[in-house]
Amino acid sequence: MPALSLNLALGNAGLLITLVAASVGAAAGAVALIGGNRRAVAQTYLFAWPVLIGTVLSVVMMQRALAQRDYSIEFVQQVGSSTTPTLYNVAAMWSALEGSILLWVLVLAAFTAAVALRFRARRDDPLVAWALVVMYAVTTFFALISFGPASPFREGPGVPIGFDGPGPNPLLQNHILVLFHPPILYLGYVGFTVPFAFAIAALVTGRVGEGWLLETRRWALFSWGFLTIGILLGGWWSYEVLGWSGVWAWDPVENASLLPWLTGTAYIHSVLVQQRRGMLRVWNLSLLVATFSLTILGTFLTRSGIINSVHAFAAGEVDGYLLGFFALVVAVSIGLIGWRGDRLRAPGTIDSPISREGAFLANNVVFALFAFIVLLGTVFPLIIEVVQGRQTVVGAPYFDRLSMPIGLTLLFLMAVAPVLPWRTASTELLSTRLLWPARIGVATLVVAVLTGADGWAPLLAFGLGGFAAGAALRQIALATRRHGWRGLVGRANGGMVVHLGVILLAVALAASNSHTHSATIELEPGREVAWGGHTFELVEVVNERDERTDTARANVLLDRTKVYGPAVTTYLQMGMTIGTPSVRTGLAKDVYLTIDGTNPPSPDASTVVLRVFVKPMILWLWIGGALMAIGTIMSAIPARLHRRPTDPTSVVLGATDR
Amino acid sequence: MSRRLSWLLVLFVGVGALAVGATRDRGPLDPGDRIDAISRRIACPVCDGESVYESRNPASEAIRSAIREGVRAGALDDDTVIAGVAEAYGAQVLLVPRATGLDALAWALPVTAAVVAIAALGATFRRWRAESAAIGEATEEDRRIVERLRASADDAAEEP
Repeated sequence: MPALSLNLALGNAGLLITLVAASVGAAAGAVALIGGNRRAVAQTYLFAWPVLIGTVLSVVMMQRALAQRDYSIEFVQQVGSSTTPTLYNVAAMWSALEGSILLWVLVLAAFTAAVALRFRARRDDPLVAWALVVMYAVTTFFALISFGPASPFREGPGVPIGFDGPGPNPLLQNHILVLFHPPILYLGYVGFTVPFAFAIAALVTGRVGEGWLLETRRWALFSWGFLTIGILLGGWWSYEVLGWSGVWAWDPVENASLLPWLTGTAYIHSVLVQQRRGMLRVWNLSLLVATFSLTILGTFLTRSGIINSVHAFAAGEVDGYLLGFFALVVAVSIGLIGWRGDRLRAPGTIDSPISREGAFLANNVVFALFAFIVLLGTVFPLIIEVVQGRQTVVGAPYFDRLSMPIGLTLLFLMAVAPVLPWRTASTELLSTRLLWPARIGVATLVVAVLTGADGWAPLLAFGLGGFAAGAALRQIALATRRHGWRGLVGRANGGMVVHLGVILLAVALAASNSHTHSATIELEPGREVAWGGHTFELVEVVNERDERTDTARANVLLDRTKVYGPAVTTYLQMGMTIGTPSVRTGLAKDVYLTIDGTNPPSPDASTVVLRVFVKPMILWLWIGGALMAIGTIMSAIPARLHRRPTDPTSVVLGATDR
Repeated sequence: MSRRLSWLLVLFVGVGALAVGATRDRGPLDPGDRIDAISRRIACPVCDGESVYESRNPASEAIRSAIREGVRAGALDDDTVIAGVAEAYGAQVLLVPRATGLDALAWALPVTAAVVAIAALGATFRRWRAESAAIGEATEEDRRIVERLRASADDAAEEP
């Protein structure tokens, strides 16, 4: 079968092209830059095209191999199956380690090409060329893993005629979000390579002023936005698929995606202080290095199998490489920062803690602390195992308890920071500007108490949420009054829309975490059961079978209005059963039905045991997420039209530090 | 209403609502909610980091039944039920690190980090304040220069 070996040969060839182009690009670029060969420097960007072409070729061949169920390839033997529907078969590529790394290489190659394209007019600028060298070096590392230890194009052992693989893990072929969650998360993860590369380039060239920051502001913003959406889609997937009605379990893999998000969030705030005042240079560089290296560390922690996780779909043999690369990134970055220490010392001081920049600093301290706690909790079982040789689990209750005061502090900062002026603020000014937000906060608190909310922590969250929302709305109202709808876009107001999204998320999380009720109820056909203000009646149990799955669905009449069908699906190839919940979504609350346990009920069963959850405000999580995405886009649109010429602004690249 | 009075009112209503909401007696917990609360604190013994609350594994089902029995039998507090489960399945099913021995580091380190961070922030601000005090106040001449520049820039901005 010639077509079969074609996938393997061209797939490997593509990866080899990427590996060679990236490594030669990195080496040639560095040599040209160090030697001062301007013509060669200007050609550094050209290597981005073969890097991209090679990777695209590999990915196309992998998709072709999956589509053809090319069982001559080991990876396809593991995740391919003739019964997998087309869409899930596309997603099968990232259902295991080797394909995930290939996706990583693809996104990285695309970002590298985008940088080359965007900055092609300045291709002889050493800052741009060094940034490309860093991108090539990172690409070389991942292409090396993909070509070597985690190769998706390895020839598999011979299989008998008529062989069919198991297909992807059933959890990865029963919801459409599997198609979007990993690639979008990767766009965020990998996207931070661009600002990181420019940061390293700035250190190497010594142009450590604000130029590189401005160049990469939108890259960082978009990466942050994709990371945010990717994480939220993961929560949505968990809610729709896993059957415990939760969106976040503080699982190590979830924590691994949260860690760079936390440092990245700190960065996109503190970068404003540097743009405005030229301060915090070392701190911002450190945050970027932390964000980038945490994506590598997170991948190591979750892919090496040293930490147990329900997400560990993709364990493999790449841990040594990832750990080594993580150590290299940290060592090189710290070395460069130390080397440029003299130039990084910024003039100027922050005069008062009660100022915009003071609030940003406080925000950074809180986010850094949050990241430390998440990292500590995630690796704590490792520490215990190494020191005392016993197994422990650090779970959700630990993280919940510690993240609660942090969340409340962040809500408070979100309320106060937007109204603070730069430099310094008087109590007079604060008491004027914060009065309306405070009234909205108290009104929210009163409404919450009147509608039956209790517990001091969730109540504080509601009140502070209203307070923060008031401050954000005040800023948006002022800007639109001054500049019309044009006032809505731009960094500051886009940021306020993101804040509104975060506040909705925080309030919805506080409400759903503290006011979820659940029960296990036994249903018989024709007998109505009442619980928690709702009625449930089993209509029938139906069985649906196709070549891939065997599904037992319990049709339940909810509140005498509509039938919902939670199901248990047995995946025949793997013999694994997966429960699929059925949810009635509402603005105020969701009713979440799932069949208890993993045993499918039979059609003639006289009883079906359901787990029912009533969860308030879940829909607002997704609305908040959408607002965050919209706000991110708004803040990327320039708001130059209404900049007063006397407003202090940062220097553009080349003005002072070239 | 004067602003001071408005703030007093806001504070009074806010604290009052918080006090009412936080202290009201909701009666005993629903057994289902109590089972949930307890099962969130116990790890599924066989399934990689999930809690019994989240997991659908048969082992978790068994623990959930044990909790249900404990709650039905009228165990006085959640810790008694959890202690029973920990005795049957071993201490590794506890999801929250204990406050003794090496485990206590999981609690002590974040607190230490918070204290150090706040102290460092305070020290930095003190240093900055000292530095800016050393520079001295802006002189009349400084202010005049800034005024002149602002005025000329504003004129320029108003031109079409």
